[in-house]
Amino acid sequence: MIEFQNVYLGLSAVLFVIGAIGAITRRNAIVVFMCIEIMLGAVNIVFITFSRANQSVEGIFMVLFVMAVAAAEAAVGLAIFILMYRKRGSLDVERFNLMKW
Amino acid sequence: MELIMLIICGALAITTSLMVIFARNTVHSALWMVASFFSTAVIFLLLRAQFIAILQIIVYAGSIMMFIIYAIMMLNLRQEDPGRGQTPATKSFGLILLIVLFICLMSLGVGSGVMALKGPITDQLMLQHGHVAVLSNFLFSDYLLPFEVVSILLTAGVVGAVVLAKRKE
Repeated sequence: MIEFQNVYLGLSAVLFVIGAIGAITRRNAIVVFMCIEIMLGAVNIVFITFSRANQSVEGIFMVLFVMAVAAAEAAVGLAIFILMYRKRGSLDVERFNLMKW
Repeated sequence: MELIMLIICGALAITTSLMVIFARNTVHSALWMVASFFSTAVIFLLLRAQFIAILQIIVYAGSIMMFIIYAIMMLNLRQEDPGRGQTPATKSFGLILLIVLFICLMSLGVGSGVMALKGPITDQLMLQHGHVAVLSNFLFSDYLLPFEVVSILLTAGVVGAVVLAKRKE
């Protein structure tokens, strides 16, 4: 246990739920993407908190890899947005129904 | 002192994240997101993870948000087009689901001192060598394989983005 560990964990739970609310209520694909980034940031806070509490190095590396995956995800995701905008003329996730039947 | 900073930064992080969700303009939402990343970086500093805090600013606030703002600019998105919204039934179902999720997260995390391991990263070591030196020692010995795999992932991501966004002739 470190001091204020519960405050850090509670804060990250609040941030995670805010991100989840945004991801399921907003319809603009870019805002949904940003809400996913908020959720990733909340998870990073938990990793760093427990890594400090245990004095271990694993949590810090997990955060490094999460950041790398987020960067790759941003590149591919924005390419997909541009493609969808070209095909559909909007970024409304309600209209992304190519894989729905 | 730490508690005061923590409360200020936590309140800032929560407010800016809420503004990301509730701003109607996509560009405003992206700018609030930058503020949210900065307050998260200060929280990492309070947890004595200096390297991660700097990376948070460089990678997230610098490069990923630049990507997003460029995409908004290129696609010329101002407003969400109004259309059919959710019905009250789905809205309340989602709200209940989120409250359950929040309670689960709180009960799992808060108050758990389960793992009382004592690893190699002590404050003393950090003061002596610095955060980056200690981390890079581990990164280039024990974690070399994941590090290389991440570089392959990033290359694949860049190539994939170019292939996807290229116009077909």
